[in-house]
Amino acid sequence: MTAPIDTGPAAEVAAGLPEDRPARGTLRYALTKVGGALVSIAMVIVATFFMFRLIPGDPVIAYTRDVPLSPDQIELLRKQMGLDQPVFNQFIDFVVRAVRFDFGTSYEYRRPVMDLIGEKVGSTLLLTGVGLVIAVSLGLWQGTRAAWNHGGRFDRYSTAISLVLWSVPTFWLGLLLLMTLAAGIGPIPGMFPTRGMDSVDAPDGFAYILDVAHHMVLPCLTLVAVVYAQYLLVMRSSLLDEIGQDYVTTARAKGLRDDLVRRRHAVPNALLPTVTLVFIHIGFVVGGAVTVEYVFSWPGLGLLFVEAIKGPDFPVMQGAFLVVCIAVIIMNTLADVVYHLLDPRVRAA
Amino acid sequence: MTKWLARLAALGVVFLLTIQGQAALANPEGKKVLRIGSTQSVDSMNPFKAVRLIAGQLQRWSYLFLTTPDPKTLAPSPDLAESWETSPDGLTWTFKIRDTKWSDGTPVTAHDAAWTFNKIMTDDKAKTGNGPAVENFETVTATDDRTLVIKTKAPQASMLENPIPIVPKAAWEKQADIGAYEAEDNPPVNGMYIPYEQKKDQYVKLKANPDYWRGAPKISELQVIFYENPEAAIAGLKKGEIDLIGRLAAPQFEAGAGDATITQWNTPGRRAAYLQINHGATTSDDKPVGDGHPALKDVKVRQALHYAIDKQALVDQVQNGLAVPADGSIVPPMYQDFFWQAEGADKVSFDLAKANQILDDAGYKKGADGVRTMPDDPGKKLEFRFTIHTETPTEEKLAQYLTGWFKEIGITLTTKQLDSNQFTEETGSTALFDIAISGWSVNPDPEEVLATHLCSRRPTPTGDGGGTESFWCNKEYEDLYTNQLKELDRAKRADLIKQMQKNLYVNAPVIAIYYPNNLELYRKDKITSIEPVPAGRSGEGILYGGSSGWPMYTADVKADPGSATASGGGSNTGLIIGIIGGVVVLGLAGVLLARRRKTTADDRE
Repeated sequence: MTAPIDTGPAAEVAAGLPEDRPARGTLRYALTKVGGALVSIAMVIVATFFMFRLIPGDPVIAYTRDVPLSPDQIELLRKQMGLDQPVFNQFIDFVVRAVRFDFGTSYEYRRPVMDLIGEKVGSTLLLTGVGLVIAVSLGLWQGTRAAWNHGGRFDRYSTAISLVLWSVPTFWLGLLLLMTLAAGIGPIPGMFPTRGMDSVDAPDGFAYILDVAHHMVLPCLTLVAVVYAQYLLVMRSSLLDEIGQDYVTTARAKGLRDDLVRRRHAVPNALLPTVTLVFIHIGFVVGGAVTVEYVFSWPGLGLLFVEAIKGPDFPVMQGAFLVVCIAVIIMNTLADVVYHLLDPRVRAA
Repeated sequence: MTKWLARLAALGVVFLLTIQGQAALANPEGKKVLRIGSTQSVDSMNPFKAVRLIAGQLQRWSYLFLTTPDPKTLAPSPDLAESWETSPDGLTWTFKIRDTKWSDGTPVTAHDAAWTFNKIMTDDKAKTGNGPAVENFETVTATDDRTLVIKTKAPQASMLENPIPIVPKAAWEKQADIGAYEAEDNPPVNGMYIPYEQKKDQYVKLKANPDYWRGAPKISELQVIFYENPEAAIAGLKKGEIDLIGRLAAPQFEAGAGDATITQWNTPGRRAAYLQINHGATTSDDKPVGDGHPALKDVKVRQALHYAIDKQALVDQVQNGLAVPADGSIVPPMYQDFFWQAEGADKVSFDLAKANQILDDAGYKKGADGVRTMPDDPGKKLEFRFTIHTETPTEEKLAQYLTGWFKEIGITLTTKQLDSNQFTEETGSTALFDIAISGWSVNPDPEEVLATHLCSRRPTPTGDGGGTESFWCNKEYEDLYTNQLKELDRAKRADLIKQMQKNLYVNAPVIAIYYPNNLELYRKDKITSIEPVPAGRSGEGILYGGSSGWPMYTADVKADPGSATASGGGSNTGLIIGIIGGVVVLGLAGVLLARRRKTTADDRE
């Protein structure tokens, strides 16, 4: 083999110069993206305010339906909810507060919405975070294997199974798992808890962590089952694209082992499109999987949202909605920037 | 490689044993624990703020009230107040406060009660939970440690049904902002159970109070466990993660059938379901509001509709037999003292011929298409809208039956579905309806539900709902209401209340259709005894969701086996955890092996 050409001080200096411009380009690119994200967030805040006011019905009337209140008390309630102000004042108030991450006070709980969201966000991140890691790993691994031996038995079975699971309604799958593996049916004993994040008489310390893990198995399984197909399919198709490329043929021609061609040459390139997908999903992770949380009574943001809809508790709905939107926007922006850093072709363009 | 696997296997075994050991430690002694499932989460542990039924139940289990419904008769009986007297004008009530202790050991005094009521009367933020209950209070004072004096603005017969739990002044007056306090640090209580641990949207744990004035409960702990999803709750009951669940809908109740370990508790309920008829709705200044059909202003038409409803068929077909047809009005038969039943000439039974006859006599002639028209306007057909909630299969089924019967009497009924928010507005405030479904869960004292048909409950001209259930405004009804407020003799008052129900039955601004049963399920292999409220009547009474904490006070259960059962997964919890641990360990082993292989492969390169 010949000696690498980029050794020696001269080469370093030479290599340093062209690096400079893309670095500044990256900064400008990132700033543009962040600016765009800020505009999007502003628009979402405005849209949220008006969207939730388009929902028919007066919250005060909804809240006082089964409660015998005098007109004075109703007036008081209206004042407490801030609904006695003109819509424009309400709007200004909402925007000023939203910028400070203050989404008002819940009608139902009479507590600051951010407190409620803060209480729930941890358990949601735990569930969906673990779910996402498993789904991404499983999807990418299966997608890679399926594409590499495409048309083979593994390809056919794994793709078919993942597609079936993808098309299954989350609610139905969750309930099915609950009825079989949690409740127990016929010879299958009920192996997992039917609700919640931990046992009522949960032990302390390390055993508590295991208790939570035990509670997490079924919700996580449901979550992974319905989303991993996306990663599998994206990975599979982008790897299939790469397989036909000249550089892969070159790598093979060099006599590299098949395994190495795949790992070192094809997969890194094929990973790029999945990066975007993963980042967008991280945004949704904050929102949690509303359905999964509902089925398994997982005390997260999704559950908070469902309870708020029952109310209807507009401030909580608004707050939860905004937090999820902002998370998605931030993650999208990050995806753009990371993509830019990972792929020289995007930088060049 | 073999060495590696052997080490990992050893690690796995150690891991598994550790877990088993720890799981067994979780609940070493065999406690008597009653676990109640709830599909409603606790909105607040602060009684000044909480409005949900679950929070009300928790208050009944952990606090004392001035009085409590007698377990057998449901009439007011002593609780925090040992006895009471009323002044001749009915405006001054003097209560003798029981000598008992808060759970921190300090004595309970009349000053605690006075502070509680005054807090609600003077602090708007304390009104959320029970504001209306002090609206008629002029002053509340403690003349000494044992005497509480309440002066009211007007006589109030329902004084002894006051729904406010008394809190300890010392612990609560420290809270500068009562609206921001969640009481999650478990301030002292004096009821049958003491809340000591809770997780929002997950559970509340209460332990027996040995100092409760009736004596300690038979069980040592009460747990309320939250399920968002009713199907999961039923699964949890069948598996034994919970022992009792109440307030069930028919499908969930029927899921408990055929299970040898489960008792299906099907008793008369506290709810009345009725049709609300737009008889010419007005606002509180007597101006017409809404777009109700003019024919419904005619009491004859409303009565004809009543004759055209086969209530027994509705019970059988719509409620799967789990209800009682309504031969009365808005108070269900469960409340024997106040229930009024139509008899003789008053009684309306399903009779399509009679309904047709009434409409014929009143001049509503049938057109060529079989649909009746207004007597004074042959162009105006008797076409009514029936407003129900979206996605409620029982209400849709009800609508189908009504549509069929009304067609037989020449009336067209079309169904209009609204989401609950809009439903409330159109049927309670803007009056954009003809006929609507409605219902009310009634307390042992029916004053609250009776008040929903008062003139003052109609919406204001600006459209603010006062909580009317019918837009009813009737002189006779108003007078009866005022009189029953003043009538302190229970039997005489009951008579006035029955006349009010008759007024609603005969004039038909609302038509009661059935009284849904109270449906509950519990594990008979766990709960050895429990008394419902009302107690002592065969086949009657409510376990969860009733007007007193009596059932949970009388409940006795088998002790938990002294192992890990409490953690929910049964004795196999440890095993499962072990398996999970094993899988994790094996996964790690796989990764490690793969890495080793990779390194060697790279080296070989």
